[in-house]
Amino acid sequence: MAEDESFDLAGCLDLVRKRDQAAARALVEHLHPLVIRIVRAHLPRRSSEEDLAQDIFLKMFTRLEQYQGAVPFPHWVSRIAVTTCIDQLRAQKRRPEFRWADLSENEADVLDAVLTNENDVEAGDALAARELVHKLLDQLKPDDRLVIQLLDLEQKTIAEISVSSGWSQSLVKVRAFRARRKLQKLFQELEQKERP
Amino acid sequence: MNPSDQKWSRLVAAARPAQDTRDTAAPYGFATRVAALAMAQERLSGSLLERFSLRALGLASLLALVCVAANISTVTSLFHEEAALSDDPVAEVLDLAS
Repeated sequence: MAEDESFDLAGCLDLVRKRDQAAARALVEHLHPLVIRIVRAHLPRRSSEEDLAQDIFLKMFTRLEQYQGAVPFPHWVSRIAVTTCIDQLRAQKRRPEFRWADLSENEADVLDAVLTNENDVEAGDALAARELVHKLLDQLKPDDRLVIQLLDLEQKTIAEISVSSGWSQSLVKVRAFRARRKLQKLFQELEQKERP
Repeated sequence: MNPSDQKWSRLVAAARPAQDTRDTAAPYGFATRVAALAMAQERLSGSLLERFSLRALGLASLLALVCVAANISTVTSLFHEEAALSDDPVAEVLDLAS
């Protein structure tokens, strides 16, 4: 996000409200890293990250008059990004069933190592492990998925998730609990199924 | 910790080192396109509202005036008829008899 400390966000927002197109362009460039990270972390299947980022920015401009400054502007934008991604994930409706047959060789090896507890997951399999994590996360409800991803994969705190999502801390905890329970069930089901 | 939780933790710990190293800067032309779309969208919605609401108001006023003008004779005659009907019918019959 806003790594550029010299960027005058308040001044830029004033100009955007006066319909200054150059300021609007600068604002998009400034916030793009923040938005694209959220989009990439929660991108639904078969969706274009650029299209989703564009939707988020257009929503931001449309709702700009509603921004009262109660939270820092990047937090306000990240909430728009999070809710837009969740809406997109909800629109997918059906979550594909998680099957051994759909995993690549590396992903199946990683899952095998995790399930049997016999071997450690090799350091070189990080990418396969990440893909596998995302496939498991696809099985969760969008809200629960978002919480567990931020909490476990990105190691954010409950308070940070609450700020970026706009949900209360107790709601974040409930969603994390629900997501963990669903993951437990998934692991139990996978253990019962034989690796082909 | 629950064994399934341990499995999830091991998997996530293995996945964490795979950092997303892709560039996060906006692609060339993205900011220009989005800014132009946003400004055009606001202008379009504002002008549509203005245009339609003002036109609808003008049209409604004109229709109201035309309706009143077209029916002015009917309205006045109704007032006269009402005045005639308000006379006492018994008195009228007695008047005829005398």
